Amino acid sequence: MTKPIPLLEKIGKEGRVWGDLCEQYGVDNPDPPWRVFLESTCEVLNEGSCVLPALERRDEEDELVDELYKHIPHPERQVLALAHSMILRGIITEKDLEKHLKTVTERLNAA
Amino acid sequence: MSNSHDHDHKAAPMVDEVSDFEALEVAVRELCIEKGLFTQADHNEWTEYMHTLGPTPAARLVAKAWLDEDYKQLCIDDPVKASLEVGINWITSMPSNFGTPSDYCNPRILVDTPNLKHVVVCTLCSCYPRPILGQSPEWYRTPNYRRRMVRWPRQVLSEFGLQLPEDVEIRVADSNQKTRYVVMPVRPEGTDGWTEDQLSEIVTRDCLIGVAMPRADRKADDKRPVIPAIHPYGH
Repeated sequence: MTKPIPLLEKIGKEGRVWGDLCEQYGVDNPDPPWRVFLESTCEVLNEGSCVLPALERRDEEDELVDELYKHIPHPERQVLALAHSMILRGIITEKDLEKHLKTVTERLNAA
Repeated sequence: MSNSHDHDHKAAPMVDEVSDFEALEVAVRELCIEKGLFTQADHNEWTEYMHTLGPTPAARLVAKAWLDEDYKQLCIDDPVKASLEVGINWITSMPSNFGTPSDYCNPRILVDTPNLKHVVVCTLCSCYPRPILGQSPEWYRTPNYRRRMVRWPRQVLSEFGLQLPEDVEIRVADSNQKTRYVVMPVRPEGTDGWTEDQLSEIVTRDCLIGVAMPRADRKADDKRPVIPAIHPYGH
């Protein structure tokens, strides 16, 4: 059984998924605009540095989704799984991510 | 100089809110850059490439093949060369300039006949012919589709609304890191005299994966339900 990561668990529970936002704002794009950035991140992690090979990441994504993120749609579950895989490998730490996430959230919401 | 073009135009609605998931994507990406795993320039190059992807080239390839038997044969014999004619270079169009482990340049075109239906899956993960078909749909990635399509293709196709007579053979092509498949469906009735442009409009993404058949009156893919697996893969 994979151990939950509290930060990601919280985002999974409290974060608003694209489908809900689309409904509220009357948008009909099937994918959030950030999906393409996420796909690119996965590509460059696989391609250049081979930090996270594609097949390994996808296998792990399947497991993580099944065990922890089953009720979260794609691509939200993909970004959670990517962050989870990176923390599991020690590429980033939960603490670093939490700190940077706070900075990013403040920056993106700045008036 | 007239500038009236933009005054009457109503902008499409946008989501005016940053979700936690969006912030997470940015945070993960920026931490990777900070740690030197890749550069912003590397990332930009991939993003620009991703933005060029979609199902249009594959639809065009099928439409051309329907109209030109020689081109159809080229699609079967040398899909890389055939793809060049619809603007896709499997070898050099990617930022890496030699394909990638996840988009390896070995495409195959699977030609349907009235008695043979092909359908594509990736049982291992979600390998997909992205250079010519764009990003895979959500349902294509689900363990449910991947696991069941290889076992009960007729049943799964019927869930997509594709009821095939018993005398139609179904072949399931399992994609992998080396080989990517695109289905060339049978040209539908009611399209005699149509141009390549007209034909390419009815070759939807789902037709190219093999879970739908082109129809003269249908130009877009319907939204598909994503059914969670009852017995998930690996358990």
